[in-house]
Amino acid sequence: MTTEPEGASNGTGPSIESLGFDDAFAELRAVVAELEAGGLSLEDTIARTERAVALQRHCERLLGEAELRVQQLIARPGGGLDVKDIAADEAIEG
Amino acid sequence: MDDRTLLPGWDAVDAEAASAQASPQPPPGTFGLRILNVSDVARAIREAVRSDPRLADVWVEGEVGRVTVSSAGHAYFTLKDARSTLNCVWFSDERARSVFQPQAGLRIVVHGRVDLFEQQGAVQLYVESIQPAGFGDLAIRFEALKARLAAEGLFDPARKRPLPPRPTTIAVITSPTGVVWRDIATVLSRRWPMTRVLLVACKVQGEDAPDSIVRAFNRLERWIAGLDRAGRSAEAPQVTILARGGGSLEDLWSFNDERVVRAVVGHRLPVVCGVGHEVDVTLADFAADIRAPTPSAAAEMVVPDRADWLASFRRAGDRTAAAVGRVLDAARRELAAERRALDQLDPRAQLVADRERVGLLLDRAVRVAAVAIERRSAALRAAAGDAPRPILARLATARATLAASTAALAVLGPQATLDRGYAIVRRSTDGLIVRRPADAPAGTALAIRVADGELAAEARDKS
Repeated sequence: MTTEPEGASNGTGPSIESLGFDDAFAELRAVVAELEAGGLSLEDTIARTERAVALQRHCERLLGEAELRVQQLIARPGGGLDVKDIAADEAIEG
Repeated sequence: MDDRTLLPGWDAVDAEAASAQASPQPPPGTFGLRILNVSDVARAIREAVRSDPRLADVWVEGEVGRVTVSSAGHAYFTLKDARSTLNCVWFSDERARSVFQPQAGLRIVVHGRVDLFEQQGAVQLYVESIQPAGFGDLAIRFEALKARLAAEGLFDPARKRPLPPRPTTIAVITSPTGVVWRDIATVLSRRWPMTRVLLVACKVQGEDAPDSIVRAFNRLERWIAGLDRAGRSAEAPQVTILARGGGSLEDLWSFNDERVVRAVVGHRLPVVCGVGHEVDVTLADFAADIRAPTPSAAAEMVVPDRADWLASFRRAGDRTAAAVGRVLDAARRELAAERRALDQLDPRAQLVADRERVGLLLDRAVRVAAVAIERRSAALRAAAGDAPRPILARLATARATLAASTAALAVLGPQATLDRGYAIVRRSTDGLIVRRPADAPAGTALAIRVADGELAAEARDKS
């Protein structure tokens, strides 16, 4: 069994790296459903498998590396509203 | 002399009394009177008291009068208002469980039952628990408001909205200080960090807390409306958590405020209410779409757990491997069938008339196999680098099979045929194999492939 470096496989479809979690997950579900339905040629099967594996990895990575984004809704003196990124322990009276 | 004959015996009276009691006079029924024993009356009173459901479970508010505590630890006190007085008994074992004790002059609410103390013929209140009168007010107001708002339909199950399955933004209305906010952020961060949490800070304790909570809801409503107007609805929260840590009934009272209840009901997003501990129930809980037992539980309810999702990704990978395995198996079977077909067509056994048919088959097989092998090899090499183990194993097997097939095809391929003196004739212009005279009219440039190389030629008219 030979393996090639990561990246050699990224030749098909739109760049997976640029996909958000929801889009990647939706496509993964669609591709797996397509593969399970069968009826694809060998070439299509292999291309979709590559895509599915890459999507799966991408989703796993996004989920594993994600960090909760914490914001606070703050009333400005004039009565307007603002959303500010904060750390969870630096919230202020609002 | 015997004094006994002169004086009545010392026990004579008792004897008479005894004989009179043994054979009592019939009751003077002719006058319609019935004389009752004290005990009979007491029993009748007791039965009357005990059969009245209003007296079996009572909450009574009044001012405490004199209090005495017996050596056994039972407390006896009176409860009074402007017109009446009620004797109360609080037995030591129930009294020992209470942190609050009656004191003369205090206004209290007593919970208990009314019964008769037979020895004294006294109707009194047997106390189970007492609270300061303020609590009584709260409890009564709670029940009254709950009944009124329920009648209005604010707590109807039909009003409850479902939670979004995977919110991208979650609003949290709570105090910015203290452990509750941090707990919620921690739970969201652990379970589903693919989200944004938007704190809308408010006071959760004190007289101005209800107003502060309502203003927080209003701010959030205004913010979402602003996003909608700006065409940025996608950034708006999809669910709101209303939370507060545990505390006394008075501490949690803001969440029974009618204004807060109405703010929860009128909020445009589904509300998950996590106030206090498991046992604490507020009207905001009834008004919310989901009641969570604690603030942390509220956070757990609004997002999925990424551990579950990672497991489902692994299952998706397994399903992919199974699907691709089925296709590879089918491809292998097709290839094997093609080989068997070729095996049956040994060129040496064929007549010259079969030459073209054999060449055609061989040529087609080789082209199909060559293209497929080229693509598959590339694809397999590529997939192998990225695929999880079950797929890798299958691909390795498939690749080995393809390699064997290639070798077998080489044996049966055109080279072996060419070596025996056959030739393949193609049109130079497009490489089409010439199978019939019509494929190569006079003047067509031809490329003739023989065992060791290629010849250029031109078709001439047959005649």
